[in-house]
Amino acid sequence: MSTSTASASAANLPSDSRSRPLRRLSQLRSFTSSSSSTNNNNNNNNTTATNNNSNSGTSQRSSYRNSLTNRVPWLSSSSHQQHTSAAAAPGSESATTTSPTNASHSCPESERQSTLARYSSVFSSNRGIDSDRRSQNSSSSRETPTNESSSNQQPQGAMARLRGLTQTGDSRGNNENASNNNHATTATNDAPSSGPDNVDGAVDSSDPAAAEDPSANSAQPKQKPTMRFFPYQDPLQNSRPSLTFIPISRTLPSESCVIRVGRYSERDGIPIANPSEPSDAPIGFKSKVVSRKHCELIFMNGQWHIKDVGSSSGTFLNHMRLSQPNMTSKLYTVKDGDIIQLGIDFRGGEEMIFRCVRIRIECNRSWQRQPNEFKYGSPPPFFFFHKNTESLIKNLGKGNTADYSGCRECSICLGSVLRPYQCLFMAACAHVWHYKCVSRLIHTPDYPIFQCPNCRAYTDLSAEVDDTNDFVEEEEEEEEEQKNSTSERQPSTEQQAQSESQSPAPETNATSNPAQETPTQPANSSSAESPEHGMPVEAGLAVNIENMRLHEAETPVQSATNANPATSAPTSDVEGVPHSASLDIPGSQSASLSRGTLLNRPAQLTLGRADLSDDNPLTPRNDSGPLAFDGWTGIP
Amino acid sequence: MGSQKRIAKELAELVDSPPEGIKVELANEADLYDWKVYLNGPESSPFHNGTFLVKLKFPNEYPFKPPAVNFATKIYHPNVTNDDKGSMCLGMLRPDEWKPSSRVVAVLQFARQLLAEPMPDDAVEGRIAEQYKNDRARYEEVARDWTRRYANEKA
Repeated sequence: MSTSTASASAANLPSDSRSRPLRRLSQLRSFTSSSSSTNNNNNNNNTTATNNNSNSGTSQRSSYRNSLTNRVPWLSSSSHQQHTSAAAAPGSESATTTSPTNASHSCPESERQSTLARYSSVFSSNRGIDSDRRSQNSSSSRETPTNESSSNQQPQGAMARLRGLTQTGDSRGNNENASNNNHATTATNDAPSSGPDNVDGAVDSSDPAAAEDPSANSAQPKQKPTMRFFPYQDPLQNSRPSLTFIPISRTLPSESCVIRVGRYSERDGIPIANPSEPSDAPIGFKSKVVSRKHCELIFMNGQWHIKDVGSSSGTFLNHMRLSQPNMTSKLYTVKDGDIIQLGIDFRGGEEMIFRCVRIRIECNRSWQRQPNEFKYGSPPPFFFFHKNTESLIKNLGKGNTADYSGCRECSICLGSVLRPYQCLFMAACAHVWHYKCVSRLIHTPDYPIFQCPNCRAYTDLSAEVDDTNDFVEEEEEEEEEQKNSTSERQPSTEQQAQSESQSPAPETNATSNPAQETPTQPANSSSAESPEHGMPVEAGLAVNIENMRLHEAETPVQSATNANPATSAPTSDVEGVPHSASLDIPGSQSASLSRGTLLNRPAQLTLGRADLSDDNPLTPRNDSGPLAFDGWTGIP
Repeated sequence: MGSQKRIAKELAELVDSPPEGIKVELANEADLYDWKVYLNGPESSPFHNGTFLVKLKFPNEYPFKPPAVNFATKIYHPNVTNDDKGSMCLGMLRPDEWKPSSRVVAVLQFARQLLAEPMPDDAVEGRIAEQYKNDRARYEEVARDWTRRYANEKA
């Protein structure tokens, strides 16, 4: 178990797919704040009357937005520079963009080799399969550079979802530039993602090649294979509880990796239980009944498999022993929810160290964390999260009749959760209880694992907060959906009435005064572009860091527009009305679109904005907890 | 105690709008944790026309622990023990199945459903289950007889 190497390299790998929901949420928040600030910017430039009208909120609010707006241009400008510098090669802040033509070739190669090296070092001790795997691996590494540019473009839809906003924007640029310079675009594609990721993961990745790893690998359209281990107590077994351990999760950096499971040993150092990046670090259990090399989990053909690698006390998959003692078993498919047991209790299992390990497997559940992948018809759990959070907060504010009993009623005391001054606890499945009521389910011996008493979903309460910003698309979907739902709900409530009164105002303004809008837009775009020459040079690191989140949110659209305004505007028009409409304005202006489209776009813009202002403030509000209102909701 | 509030709430709901064939009262006005439930045998079952007294006892940890359900009336049923306890085997009452979000209404409705459709595979009375599976007519006859004998007094 050369954990030290493995874990060290694991630490270098940024960007994970674990606990994505939170990440999404926070991005949604940052995105809405930035985009609404852009709106506000337009608004301010338009007429102050509109501004007052549309932001019927407080003045503090708008000033807050303005302060945000101030930041936005810097970010977009720096991103712009990154982009251009990538095309024009040298001398930018990120080292990866300096040699774009080489980057697409050398980076993946070297990175592959680093995984390869790690892999072989990990396996140097045993296994015959190593050699073929290695050859397989190296062959794939040989293929990669040539494939990359094409494979980068094909799965864009899925990829963009996975990698989020940064990639989306870039892939748009990618499309446009593809004919010009494939290599350069792939390089730029990699550049912005690695930049924020490094910072974000708070990893000191001195090795840029390793940092490239996930982005290069995620050229695969699919989500990386993930697996989580939860301790499982067999209810049928009235014997002693099995070994307790904190939940462990792994996301494979590449599909050829193998997760080795065995006995924890001090000599190997402490493996990272839940690295926030993809990792194939071995998993160790502190039990004597677990052999040093007990079993391995392999991802193959889209499925997880397990095999016993000659353990002495056996690996059991759903109570079935996989092999004779000290014999290697064949591969068995592992599905979500399966129970794996390592070894059997020894000496009655009286001491913890002699207890077997029972693991409940969750595999490839990351879909749960990606609301974008679900269609509205069949919303799996995490989608509920968004929906229900939204509705919960709406309901909290309005006492609306919408029926989300899981959200409004504490299933433990059957009382309403809408009581003021009562602390609430919301699980990842969006079920809500009074903290007072649910606390004894939280602080159990299983502590970091929380099982929802309503839906029995397990949550790891110690999971890292995922605050990278890597989603856009689902937000668009959300907005669209919210748009739909708003239009359905509109007649009913006061708040919608407000949103109605809110939306027409800017709209009429925009349509009746297209001339007025025209001058403002260049001003706007110039304000976005002017700092780009001076700012990034002067703006210190602090500013960069401070704005990192916004940066990520802002980068793609801006860079897309900057890269190729003429094409980007229409494309984004089709792809994502709400967000791009609000952000693309400078590009579309400079592209000298026809007046007709201009007239169209403000209308869309206001539409999107109405939604943003109506529905999305809930996202920022999430910070402050469902019961803290900014006063905005209360306004009739 | 948190449980008190919840039990009171559930009781109020059950008394205000009792589900079909179920009547609830407190065994002792001073004790919220002890309920008397009268179940009417479902029409389709041999227990029709019988009224079965079911005792519901809530643990202090309710709703984190399931209530105990016992038939005080003798009943010929594969899922109810034939002793003086009259314990009932309800899947949702098993400690590992129980969810705090489950409600008494659901428990009682489930219990009544069980009268209509016994689950011989989960039986606590193996002999009755056997008979239920192999000799339905005989089972129904005995069940009807028991219902007449034991479950009619309070009707």
